Amino acid sequence: MSTADALRVVALAAQAEIALVRRDDVAGALLAQAARAADGMPAGAVLGEAARVLRAGPGREAVRQVALSLCRMGLHEAQADVLGGGA
Amino acid sequence: MNARRLGQDATVLAAAGADLQALGEIEAWARRAVVVPDGAVLVDTHVHLGRDRDGHVLPAAGLVADLDANGITAAVAFPADEPGAGGDFREANRRVIDAAAAYTGRIVPFCRADPSAAAERVIAEAHAAGARGLKLHPVAQRFRPESPECIAAVRAATDLRWPVLFHAGFGARPLGPAFAALIEAVPDCRLILAHGGRGDHRALAAATAGHPGVLFDTAVASLPDLVTLPPERIAFGSDRPYGDHAQALHLVGVSARVAGWDAAALAGVLGGNLLRWIGPVMP
Repeated sequence: MSTADALRVVALAAQAEIALVRRDDVAGALLAQAARAADGMPAGAVLGEAARVLRAGPGREAVRQVALSLCRMGLHEAQADVLGGGA
Repeated sequence: MNARRLGQDATVLAAAGADLQALGEIEAWARRAVVVPDGAVLVDTHVHLGRDRDGHVLPAAGLVADLDANGITAAVAFPADEPGAGGDFREANRRVIDAAAAYTGRIVPFCRADPSAAAERVIAEAHAAGARGLKLHPVAQRFRPESPECIAAVRAATDLRWPVLFHAGFGARPLGPAFAALIEAVPDCRLILAHGGRGDHRALAAATAGHPGVLFDTAVASLPDLVTLPPERIAFGSDRPYGDHAQALHLVGVSARVAGWDAAALAGVLGGNLLRWIGPVMP
């Protein structure tokens, strides 16, 4: 994966993080995009699970919190890739 | 206490259709991101106890269950944003101090105050009752860190040799000049800037670089901010119940990997740096 690939995931996951914080309905779409963009990268598994859990239980506060944690982990893995410290 | 996944009730998550096994595997992977050095004592710098007016809730029993599940010795805890009828946090401070007494060695109580609501009296009362630090939130309580009222509160805490933990996350105002002015007014203060100072990290890092009494906590912080700081200026934090411990540990582990922290540096981040300020968990 290239730095550009990782940077794309960073941008999408960072947008999803704030959407989740603000309980914005666009979070689901952004997480799905981030998960697709991260397919095959260390961030892919956690972002994929974030998208799945949010799809399964939209509107549930516990689900939002879990999706937010997963999103942040994916964001940090992608940032590590950009910074040259990927797993 | 029901089983949890990423800090949330597993029963609730299962009812919502979450895959508990997958979440459990991710949680374990996240914890493994940190290779805890031998002898390291893990202390969470940043926990909100109680019921915040935004709806977030964390009881003391839930916090201790989270600490146990994540191998964390203790947590600094302070009231959620529940200032009470008087607006001075006195009742919420009492509840946190009582929780620390109920869970000896697991909760280090900080008090919370509004600089414009009799803060010096609140601090004195909390100190007498057993509090060991002060939490201030400039966004929630709508004050400026460099305001005379805030300077007076930080002066009062510093006179008690207390650290002062400041919210330094989401918010619109520039923070570098504000905290530089606060430090100039109270040069012997010890500040913990929460969230890695993500609200204005570059300016904060530059403004505080020459001041030894500044730590940045990792609670819901940004990775690029953490990896550009010297590790001796960083303290592990979770922001429970807004964040969770597995995610918080994962962030520290990834930061260590990217920045190349050695075992001593990592042990400092996980708890040693904070303990040098507050003393042992059991006073």
